[in-house]
Amino acid sequence: MLKVKSPQDLGAGIMFLLIGLAGIVLGRDLDFGSARNMGPGYFPLLISGFIVLIGAVVAGRSFTLEGPAIERLQLRPILMLLVALAVFSFLIREIGVVLTSILMMVVAAYARPNANIVETIIFAICVATFVAVVFVFGLNQPMPLWWNG
Amino acid sequence: MEMFEHLATGFVAAASLQNLMFCLIGVLLGTLIGVLPGIGPIPTLAILLPITFGLDPLSALIMMAGIYYGAQYGGSTTSILVNMPGEASSVVTCIEGHQMAKRGRAGSALATAALASFFAGCVGTVFLAAFGPILSKVAQQFTSPDYFSLMVLGLVMAVVLAHGSLLKAVAMVLIGLLLGLVGTDVNSGLTRYTFGIDGLWEGIDFLPLVLGLFGIVEIIRNLENPPAHRTPISTRLRDLWPTRDEFRLAWPAAVRGTGIGSILGILPGGGAVLASFASYTVEKKITRQPERFGNGAIEGVAGPEAANNAAAQTSFIPLLTLGIPSNPVMAIMMGAMIIQGIQPGAAVMTARPELFWGMVASMWIGNLMLVVINLPMLGIWVKLLSVPYRFLYPAILLFCAVGVYSTSTEPFMMVLMIVFSIFGYVLMKFGCEPAPLVLGFILGPLMETNLRRSLTLSRGDPMIFLDRPISAGLLIATLLVIALIVFPQFRKTREVAFQED
Repeated sequence: MLKVKSPQDLGAGIMFLLIGLAGIVLGRDLDFGSARNMGPGYFPLLISGFIVLIGAVVAGRSFTLEGPAIERLQLRPILMLLVALAVFSFLIREIGVVLTSILMMVVAAYARPNANIVETIIFAICVATFVAVVFVFGLNQPMPLWWNG
Repeated sequence: MEMFEHLATGFVAAASLQNLMFCLIGVLLGTLIGVLPGIGPIPTLAILLPITFGLDPLSALIMMAGIYYGAQYGGSTTSILVNMPGEASSVVTCIEGHQMAKRGRAGSALATAALASFFAGCVGTVFLAAFGPILSKVAQQFTSPDYFSLMVLGLVMAVVLAHGSLLKAVAMVLIGLLLGLVGTDVNSGLTRYTFGIDGLWEGIDFLPLVLGLFGIVEIIRNLENPPAHRTPISTRLRDLWPTRDEFRLAWPAAVRGTGIGSILGILPGGGAVLASFASYTVEKKITRQPERFGNGAIEGVAGPEAANNAAAQTSFIPLLTLGIPSNPVMAIMMGAMIIQGIQPGAAVMTARPELFWGMVASMWIGNLMLVVINLPMLGIWVKLLSVPYRFLYPAILLFCAVGVYSTSTEPFMMVLMIVFSIFGYVLMKFGCEPAPLVLGFILGPLMETNLRRSLTLSRGDPMIFLDRPISAGLLIATLLVIALIVFPQFRKTREVAFQED
């Protein structure tokens, strides 16, 4: 029976296979052309082909070569950080950079267990002020300061 | 003497009050972020890239260069005091530097690192000023096949110098190339892989890609595996000056390191990492007291630190003359230049000499600032090491978001950053290093264009790459590099070299 000896490599191999196949499938309508007259599909399909090849080798090798296990996924950090980014992109136009920054940092603080809310808010206010001063006043970036633009 | 005239032009441009200020801010910010454990120059540059956007091109490039040197210097400080390399080129500094710190010679190690870097910086500047114009003349001889072969060599070198599995690194380069092709094909005007999204017509934006892959993923990595709390070695930083004996051992090493670094920096794929490893190996080979190595030999600090700084400077040469970044850090520099509306290449030197020479001059100024301003501020940088991560990461995250938003208020940019954060997270779990991807990403369109032109010229005959002497030479070099990797002995060295992190 086949036994996976290197889970990381198996994962990476499958990922490469998928990316390469996606490159080929999504690019199938692009004209391949010929070496003399390369179409828009020539180079991408060539590269996608190589990626598939490497993917197959890396995945195949994972059954013979020992390798490290995949580290346990921890959902909390990545989820909270992505939510924080989403909060930023949704709110910045609506309520301006100061409030958005504070909210975002509070959300981000919960990417760690037992965040201290008071400490977090005080710190967030300081950083938000700094960001507003540097980016809006210092660098003149086009960002609304408050909700009224 | 033409060189001095050019340099004078550069100093006039770079020494304006405004540019000096941005150089200083760059050096300080670079050190500030670079000194944080685990953050190397690539994430530092990515995080700080957006603040340079509002500036005029010269100020922006001066500031980026300052950030780069600052980040490298900050990384050395962390290596010496906490034994935690921010990136591969400080791994070597960790070995001897941290041992010196344990023996109570931290101040001396830090000063040696700074002085050796400064010396290398001075030589590197002259080197750049002398060889830049020569290489840009050579660059005028370059035709499409030569460019293509040069990029192949550069990418192969990037693979060899990446951490971990070679095959995975090759795949990362290829995925980078593929991502670089997203958008409108210049030749046919057709859009490729855009899924009908307007935001992708002009290709994937550079900033969300690097910030996602390096900035955000770095934070997640640190949150998942909080770095073991290592207290910096407390040292009396007043003892900054090396003793006479230390100085006597250090300076020849710094000179050798500078030479090694200056030469390796120019090579495709070369740069700080390769240079510092090479210099350390040389020092270890030629020393008369090999037993001191591993126990805090000052040559092992002076040599590699000089080498990585010299290489950091001379690796600007291929970027500024050929328009081809030789390593991932330079890929980010190139991204910054393109965002500023400058297409790096030989044309920059003739069309906008004040830009080229101003940057060269600013490198020297930046190095001077590192020594004069940073060294006395060591105490502050060391304190920074004790700022809890729970304060740092939300602020870094916010800077990433504000940075992307300030370049484009398009909500799609934030979506891209989120997508690349997730992608980077998956790469991390599967043990794939994203640095080669960035290089591929930047080179993708260039490679396609040059491949297309070459094959059109030769009517589809691939022999054109061997018929042209420059191209053939570069391909032979590529083959040699590949042969070296297949060669088991070298492979082992490579594995040992990267084992530290």
